[in-house]
Amino acid sequence: MSSAFVSLQNVSLAYGKTVVVPDLRLDIRKGELVALLGPSGCGKTTTMRAIAGLMSLHAGSISIDGVDMSRTPANKRGVGLVFQSYALFPHLNAFENVAFGLRLKKLPRTEIIGRVEHGLSTVGLSHLAQRKPAEMSGGQQQRLSLARSLVMEPKVLLLDEPLSNLDARLRLEMRTELQRVQRDTGITMIFVTHDQSEALALADRIVLMKDGVIEQLGTADDLYNRPETEFAADFFGFENIFEVSGSSIRGPQGSVSISFTAKAGHLAWRPGAVKIGSGPHKATVRGVAFAGEHREYVFDTGLGQIKASAPAGEPAYELGASLSFDLPEDGALSIPAKN
Amino acid sequence: MTGTWASRLIIGLTLTFLIGPFFIIIAAGLSAGDFLAFPPDGLSLKWYLKVFEVESFRESFALSMFLAVFGTIAALILGVPAAYAISRYQIPYGETIKTIVAAPIIVPGIIVGLALLRYLVVPLNFTITLALFLAHTALVLPYAVRVVSSSLNNLRSDMEEAAVLLGCSRLGAFFRVVLPNIQSGVLAAFILGFVTSFNQVPVSLFLSGPGVRTLPIDMLSYMEITYDPSVAALSALLALMSVVIVFVAEKFLGFSRYV
Ligand SMILES: Nc1ncnc2c1ncn2[C@@H]1O[C@H](COP(=O)(O)OP(=O)(O)O)[C@@H](O)[C@H]1O
Ligand SMILES: [Mg+2]
Repeated sequence: MSSAFVSLQNVSLAYGKTVVVPDLRLDIRKGELVALLGPSGCGKTTTMRAIAGLMSLHAGSISIDGVDMSRTPANKRGVGLVFQSYALFPHLNAFENVAFGLRLKKLPRTEIIGRVEHGLSTVGLSHLAQRKPAEMSGGQQQRLSLARSLVMEPKVLLLDEPLSNLDARLRLEMRTELQRVQRDTGITMIFVTHDQSEALALADRIVLMKDGVIEQLGTADDLYNRPETEFAADFFGFENIFEVSGSSIRGPQGSVSISFTAKAGHLAWRPGAVKIGSGPHKATVRGVAFAGEHREYVFDTGLGQIKASAPAGEPAYELGASLSFDLPEDGALSIPAKN
Repeated sequence: MTGTWASRLIIGLTLTFLIGPFFIIIAAGLSAGDFLAFPPDGLSLKWYLKVFEVESFRESFALSMFLAVFGTIAALILGVPAAYAISRYQIPYGETIKTIVAAPIIVPGIIVGLALLRYLVVPLNFTITLALFLAHTALVLPYAVRVVSSSLNNLRSDMEEAAVLLGCSRLGAFFRVVLPNIQSGVLAAFILGFVTSFNQVPVSLFLSGPGVRTLPIDMLSYMEITYDPSVAALSALLALMSVVIVFVAEKFLGFSRYV
């Protein structure tokens, strides 16, 4: 565990008697940008609050930079948290919001001014120093909240769904911004998201969570191309998942035989990997949607419903049309059975 | 059209009913005669001026002011932390506590007064001033808790957590982040408490003793002996004071949000 900067050991978290995170083990390296990814309600915020010290541990321990922090109060941990709701101070202007923590440290006046100005310019808000949060847009408030945490030079910066309240364009802008700030400062960052594309785009490593348990941990490449569980496969776009039984695969409506030998477990295909127009299986078009570069289909098949997509340039199938398709070996993801 | 006509009539009558007596009192105080009467018997300002010369009015006004200001401050010192605790922590029976705190508003003042007299002043030998102070504090407390609670409920608790993560203690976060943001609620509670305490009659009635009376009680006993228009003049002045306070509060605080 020597390389771990933030280390969660057998951490269990509960609200009252309800255990939300049963047994979390996670090591994060110094300077790493880690994404905590998972569907809503899986315990991401809870985990962040525990690292920050806003929530006490039910069991286990958390250490930062080799020091056990399990009993250290939140205001002494040196951990920053950017709240999903920003949590800015409405009665203070942008400058004073950023200066808040520095003033508590009783730093010399000139140093405070210097650091606040630097913080504001890092997030591109120097011109709004005198504005109150209520007079700023969502994106500006988001950046102000980031600056407020950054000027404290935390050992670890936690960001809870930092991009979810922004519109699509701002989200892209903030993404780049976060990456740049992380590169410039080298601060270890853990950010929460329920959006796989955000995690893929930003993170050095992704922690995929489900019901408080880590499903898979790895690089973007690992999770996107080699998901190891059905849940991970589904989360990263292998939406057609079938159980392997002998020389056939089984869906909710029935079984079909496949033309290649597969290991026991599951087989999964992305919609784009489904071969449309020829093949041994029959389907009826149940739904069709135009999505720019692609046309997305829902087929009724002997297996049940499957999702497929085809380049928009290819001839379209109408609702109710019958066609042949194949689930080829090429493009199939094999998920070995759990033991 | 008849609908609007009828509703205007009703609004007009209601306003007359509510505000009319106020004008009658103002007018009665302007009388030049020696007895309280309406319509006034001639016009003069002498009763308005006399109000300021009656020794007992001056003393009881000072006492009422003292009770209203310090009783309300005491109620806020107790009520703000109580409201904070109820809104922030899941205190068992939080709602029940709020109801119990509200008891002095619900229980008739006569009973509260009698109970305080019987079980505090007499057996414990409390001075009347102390008993009055405690009674007014208790009467204002429910307003303090309610009004401050409602402004706390509009304040997200993650702000305090943000302050803690920036280095504050919990208590520090309360003073640096919570209090500045509920300022206007606290001020509204103060004004409401002040007016309530100042106009309080039934409880004070039981606790007033020789030489120690609040202004409303003093006015009652004054009238039992002297039936001159100075009481009307004083009432008009007090009503005016309340109106000015509430008007200023509404203008600067949006007071009606809290009441
Ligand atoms: N204050 C709370 N009291 C009780 N249960 C809670 C509380 N906050 C969250 N939970 C529960 O804990 C689980 C995880 O919540 P959370 O960590 O907020 O999930 P996420 O951030 O991944 O959406 C959810 O089932 C949620 O209902
Ligand atoms: Mg969350």
